[in-house]
Amino acid sequence: MKKIVLMCVAGMSTSLLVSKMQAAAKESGFPCEIQAHGVAEAPNVIPEADVVLLGPQVRYLLSKLKKEYPDRKIAAIDMRTYGMVDGKKALAQAREVMES
Amino acid sequence: MTQEKSGEKDIESTLFEIITEVGSARSFYIEATQTAHEKNIERAKELFEEGQRAFNKGHRIHASLIREVSAEGHVPVFKNDERIMLLTHAEDQLMSAEAFGILTEEFLALYQALKEKKIL
Repeated sequence: MKKIVLMCVAGMSTSLLVSKMQAAAKESGFPCEIQAHGVAEAPNVIPEADVVLLGPQVRYLLSKLKKEYPDRKIAAIDMRTYGMVDGKKALAQAREVMES
Repeated sequence: MTQEKSGEKDIESTLFEIITEVGSARSFYIEATQTAHEKNIERAKELFEEGQRAFNKGHRIHASLIREVSAEGHVPVFKNDERIMLLTHAEDQLMSAEAFGILTEEFLALYQALKEKKIL
């Protein structure tokens, strides 16, 4: 089972997006575990994740996290997807990054 | 997407728009400071300006929300705790971005001065 992690400042706003992504995953029959965390949890959750998506608030950490975890798939969530809380598109982006 | 009339249904997306814009502004500000630290003052200024644009967008959405809720005959939209938490979070992000913006401007001036004096 693929593990998708969303990160923002406190894991608060991304948790809403997570529930919409879970609904989208269920609908499309894609088995995965999706979690939201604050960036303080990064060392505990990134090593276990198949893909990590960053919210716009923590996008500035992208290059640093990529350097720290070179073997992990990490990307910033598309701003429009995030703004619209579009679970389908966010899941599609996660799958795209995972397969890249 | 319109910010003029937020019914109960789309207040959530209005709040998410604020979080997205000001959160993005905050990232731009931090990237600007880091870029100035790496002596690239011109690029840092561009990033700061991008931050300002995103912040202003978020700020305008927030301001229109204030106008809307204070208008006569307004029907309350905050009926559940999750949305109230989201509003608090959006305003928290807005304030955080604002503070970062003020400090970034100062940092840019400081790094520029250090670069001119060849200290950086």
